[in-house]
Amino acid sequence: MAAIKQPSVLPGFGLTFGFTTFFLSAVVLIPLAALVLMAASMTWHDFVRVVFSARAMGSYRLSFGASFLAASINLVFGFIIAWTLVRYEFPGRKLIDALIDMPFALPTAVSGIALTTVFAENGWIGQYLQPLGIKVAYTWIGVTVALTLIGLPFAVRSVQPALLEVQRDLEDAAETLGAGRLYVFRRIILPTVLPALLTGFTLAFARAVGEYGSVIFIAGNLPMKTEITPLLIVIRLEEFDYKGAAALGFVMLVISFVVLLMINLLQAWGRRRIVAGAR
Amino acid sequence: MSITLDQVTKRYQGLPVVNDVSLDIGDGEFFVLLGPSGSGKSTLLRAIAGLAGVDHGRIALHGRDVTHVSAKERGVGLVFQNYALFRHMTVADNIEFALRVRRMKGAERRQRRQELLRLVSLEGMDERLPAQLSGGQQQRVAVARALAHKPEVLLLDEPFGALDAKIREELRRTIRQVQRELGITTVLVTHDQEEAFALADRIGVMNLGRLLELGKPQELYARPATRFVATFLGAANLILARQTRDGIRFGKTAVNASAAGPLQGSRDHEVVAVVRPEEIEIAPTREDLASGYLTRGAVEEIVFTGALERMRIRIEDGQEAAPLSNGNGNGSAFLEVTRTQHEQRAFQISNGQHVAIGVRRIHILPTPLSSFTTCATTESLAEALVQQPLLAELASRMKTRISTRVEPKLGMPGANCEGAPEFSGTTVIAAHSEVVYQAQWLLKMGAEEILVLPQNASPPQRVLIHWADEAVRRATLAVSASILRHVSAEAIYIGILPQQTPAAQRPHGMRALLDARSEAQAVHGLEMRTELRFGDVSHELARQLGELAGQMLILGIRGHADLPERFGSLFAESRWPVLIVHRQHDSPAGQAGQAYQAGQA
Repeated sequence: MAAIKQPSVLPGFGLTFGFTTFFLSAVVLIPLAALVLMAASMTWHDFVRVVFSARAMGSYRLSFGASFLAASINLVFGFIIAWTLVRYEFPGRKLIDALIDMPFALPTAVSGIALTTVFAENGWIGQYLQPLGIKVAYTWIGVTVALTLIGLPFAVRSVQPALLEVQRDLEDAAETLGAGRLYVFRRIILPTVLPALLTGFTLAFARAVGEYGSVIFIAGNLPMKTEITPLLIVIRLEEFDYKGAAALGFVMLVISFVVLLMINLLQAWGRRRIVAGAR
Repeated sequence: MSITLDQVTKRYQGLPVVNDVSLDIGDGEFFVLLGPSGSGKSTLLRAIAGLAGVDHGRIALHGRDVTHVSAKERGVGLVFQNYALFRHMTVADNIEFALRVRRMKGAERRQRRQELLRLVSLEGMDERLPAQLSGGQQQRVAVARALAHKPEVLLLDEPFGALDAKIREELRRTIRQVQRELGITTVLVTHDQEEAFALADRIGVMNLGRLLELGKPQELYARPATRFVATFLGAANLILARQTRDGIRFGKTAVNASAAGPLQGSRDHEVVAVVRPEEIEIAPTREDLASGYLTRGAVEEIVFTGALERMRIRIEDGQEAAPLSNGNGNGSAFLEVTRTQHEQRAFQISNGQHVAIGVRRIHILPTPLSSFTTCATTESLAEALVQQPLLAELASRMKTRISTRVEPKLGMPGANCEGAPEFSGTTVIAAHSEVVYQAQWLLKMGAEEILVLPQNASPPQRVLIHWADEAVRRATLAVSASILRHVSAEAIYIGILPQQTPAAQRPHGMRALLDARSEAQAVHGLEMRTELRFGDVSHELARQLGELAGQMLILGIRGHADLPERFGSLFAESRWPVLIVHRQHDSPAGQAGQAYQAGQA
């Protein structure tokens, strides 16, 4: 016990640890346990039927696939936006910086409706994509666009502080040692911000998997095609099939947990390489 | 020459951070750029490395012009204050970085790495990560990394800044050793004079973007040419004195000639004397002094610092030898003194004790600007001038004194001056439409430098230099150099030939211009631009001054009889400061010149 205890501003390790467990239990663990219990009350046969039905499988594919794609897009563009904000001084920088957080604040339904209006076949952007044969609204592309929007702030805000940490000196040092720009980016900048990038990716992915409000407006919600798992769960609830809903929820829980755990482990490994032995 | 800088200028938001620096650094030399923060030394180092472009001038490495070559292609080694190690790479990977970029084979890389690790005494640390090393070890890795690609030049930017004293000492020795072993030309930037002394073959002192002086450490310390170098390199008491035909005088006390060394010039004028704290002797009475008597004083503060005893002594002998400053900014009548253990044992003193003060060695600064005296018809007007921003700024940067002088009949034809017959330093008067007659009157009374100051003038961004007579060229250049060491401004010499100059004579005018420029550079280390104009002198000068705000004119003249007729129009508008440099006869050997060359030898 003495080894764990460390002096801190807040009183008592026992008290704070108690709060931590209590809070986590009340808000996270107990509701999740209820979900698992509910799912567990089904027979194995029923459970498999619900969980592996073609409609459910299609929704998993869309939910996790689109989330993964959206988080990947955010990884790239979030990095570019963060780079621009950190490295350049230009008029309106503060404004853009503030705009990044908009998706945080906006009710998701509002962004969903806005996206649908813009990307619909007769919308501002949709009308130009239509002749090219690209349909955004009511397809999986629309789902991805919505998930990208809501995940963007997570990606940018995670990378920004890490980029601030990359000192110019490092780049200057590499340059005097004869490295070209691409080499500096690949060997110096990227490895340094990789943990932050992964964090951003994880947060954006997690948020996208759980997203409901904005997607249902732009997705069109065709079973097997543009129906996401959260929506399917709501449909089951509306049919008073609580157990089916719980089963689907349980599957989401398991997949999300496994993915997040994997990314976290990857990240911990990367961080250990950098700060190993420090203090 | 290993590194050649030719008139390198770097501006930041229009202001020069590095101002016209020319410098040659020899093969295998250990050169230290010394200056306070913001003096432009780091920027200059980055310019040599190719990390900062220059706005003007040329940089050559081993005879190859690299002004427009990127840092990547320059092949220099650079070490940063904060090490700038790649934290996600092991020591081995850090050191091999430059070799990998050059696609060197694995076996060769390993061999080179072992060599470098041995050089910085870090054998066996290959697989550590930077975070597992101490600060000193990290900096050793940085040095090894910078040397990996066998650069021709090693640049060190405050490499010891983040280390504590013991480690610093040790790393300093390592770097000096490595430098000797490899014979590599090295430039180190620092603000620590002790570090500069310990490492340098030669030191260049920078301030306000200018390279003020260069020379061997011992020479710069013993014979600085500028106030800044005198006070920045160790502690110094700056004392106003008077140079006469018979030697140096502090007030009424004449100082033993041997203490001051050979003097330049024979003109009777005010000078700035440098007295190092360790050159001051203290004894109970005047008779006990082994060296020349200076003044009497009372001990105000004694600090024990180990090997040395440091004290401040208040001067008691009235105004006779008032120090300007001892470099700590407290300009009043204090002398800073240090004594060795041996001296302490010979004469024990305590706080408040009255002592006789002697000096063993005095160095006279070759600067022609010693102090300022504002002059007006009433005391309150003279006091008001002291508050003027340009004057206050100049005096504080020059660490000098502003006194006042009341002349009720200032400018009245036929009247004589009522103050002391001697004029000391630069006389300052307020600009107004009739000021030229006051200036003429003061010149007649014996003033040699007169600063005509408009209301609220601020330090200039550009200084125009013109002399109306070749005989005052040296004096004008010396004054200009002195001013320009204390303001970050660009200097332009304007030569003006009459409109009707025949074509055959024009090359002659051009040559005079270039002569002046090379003299300014050789004698004063002052870089200036030159412009040749045709037309009426005061008209052309006024036109140039009117073009842009923030300009100042330094005008050299010989004889004052025709001052109002020739230059009256320059003073009538009172929009720009004018510094008049007046000499009846120019001394044949520019005094500032000799000292500067002595510092260079």
